[in-house]
Amino acid sequence: MFIPFLAREREAEMEQPQLGCSGAEAILNLPPSSSISIAYHPLFGPHDDLILLELDEKLLPEVLQQRITLRGQPDEDAVLCTRSKTYAVKFVGTSNSVFLIPPSDQSEFCENSLDCIGKDHDQQVVASVIKVAPGNMELVEVAPRLDKLKLLLSVNPYRFGEDIEMEDLEETEKSYTGLYKWDDLVEQVQASDEELRSALKALSAVEIGGYWRIVDDKYMDTILSMLLHDSVLNDWSLDLLNEDEVVSMLESDGFPQKLARHCLHVYGTKVDENVDKRVWRLDERRVCVHFAREILKEGKRKMDTFMVKWMQKIPEGMRASFDMLEGEVLTERLGVETWVRAFSVSSLPSSPAERFSILFRERPKWEWKDLQPYIRDLKVPGLSSEGLLLKFTRRTQPTLDAEPVFSAR
Amino acid sequence: MQIRVKCNCGEGNCPEWAILELQGAVEAQPSFQGRLQNLQIGILCRPSSQEVYTFTVGYHELTGSKVSLKKPLLVLKKTKHSDPDHEIGEGDFSSRVELEVIGVIRHRILFKTRPKAIISKPQPAMKERVGMPGSVVSNQTA
Repeated sequence: MFIPFLAREREAEMEQPQLGCSGAEAILNLPPSSSISIAYHPLFGPHDDLILLELDEKLLPEVLQQRITLRGQPDEDAVLCTRSKTYAVKFVGTSNSVFLIPPSDQSEFCENSLDCIGKDHDQQVVASVIKVAPGNMELVEVAPRLDKLKLLLSVNPYRFGEDIEMEDLEETEKSYTGLYKWDDLVEQVQASDEELRSALKALSAVEIGGYWRIVDDKYMDTILSMLLHDSVLNDWSLDLLNEDEVVSMLESDGFPQKLARHCLHVYGTKVDENVDKRVWRLDERRVCVHFAREILKEGKRKMDTFMVKWMQKIPEGMRASFDMLEGEVLTERLGVETWVRAFSVSSLPSSPAERFSILFRERPKWEWKDLQPYIRDLKVPGLSSEGLLLKFTRRTQPTLDAEPVFSAR
Repeated sequence: MQIRVKCNCGEGNCPEWAILELQGAVEAQPSFQGRLQNLQIGILCRPSSQEVYTFTVGYHELTGSKVSLKKPLLVLKKTKHSDPDHEIGEGDFSSRVELEVIGVIRHRILFKTRPKAIISKPQPAMKERVGMPGSVVSNQTA
């Protein structure tokens, strides 16, 4: 095989401008019938600070616009976040020799060109290998790790009267423990900005004085009850609540404006906004669920007494039905009585393994209609809900027309 | 903590790096071990207009081809600053880590065949090099 030799002769005839060192571009654009010498770079070494990250072409624009971040505490596995998604970062090693060759104008390694022109007597084009890469990082889309968010915000919920206390205290005396600004949350929680935002919304968190807070249940109950009370007094329709009226009335009742508005956000939906006035409709389900939770806070109740108490609490014009409590309560028969108790899906962890483990500790066997409300919010990228069931449950069906029953694997 | 991945490439003009990949390992002769800098590994040659390449290392010749990566690889550079202004938390030494995109890799030249011994006498191209390292491909796995 003399091809390399022949090729070199031809190249020697042609070579004029690009003498000496070159880099990646010389390899990638190597003209036919030519050759290039490959050498270890003057700065060749392990270069652990150079990392290869494989990512989808469609994520490149986000990289160029500097929207990519790595998030995690030192004791957590880092995740990579784009604006809307979260990815686990995995190292994939290789047993091949992967010679990494920078372009010749890479500023970090530029002493290169001076170094080797002198040494290369025959002025052959040389491309230099800066390191042998042991592998690269890969991305796997994962569900955002949001349980920590709930944990952080639950430490110091916003309580009734706090706004007044805050005013009384000197700036320096305020306790900031368990208080988080957006930037603090981003440092703490492994989720993309969009995922974090929607999680805050799902937790009914509100930004008060720059800090993201969840509001104490009892306080929310007080505001909602006052709002309902005001609507009776003022003859407001719960389907057409004027935001300005409601908020100023609640303010005169002694609630901060921020919390009054928050109450509308938590229990209401904005009605079509083609008018100047912002109008809200209270959401029947959310209001009814709220009162059911309040009743069951102290523990389980007999079904009959629960229903009576619940109906008493439901505001005029709303109808509560037991279906609304899917994913909120469990019923169980003890003797002749049926009992109801709170068991809210929102209190369960979001990782499927932990979720199923708690569910099966709660009940060893689940019928599909009972189980479904407790797992429908689980989302694992790349795994369907059937896949989840297959992975975490055992399905039994005593007879063909019987309801399937799920138990732990 | 959060590390923003910096990128000053702008307009999608990240400098393109290249990968030469072969199976097994290249071993320098013992006398060169530990000081590989500037040492020649071999000669990469493109004999025709096809994207087929040969890589001659010592008395071995590998044949391979240029392949586009299914997904691009970013070349990131990690820098650690100890930054006293930026304290992350109590007792947390804040050595801030920065990651910067310094290149992108879209192609590699992959040699996945066993090396072929060049039976003839050493080629002139190799002989005339100063400090001819005589690197040897040791093909561990095929």
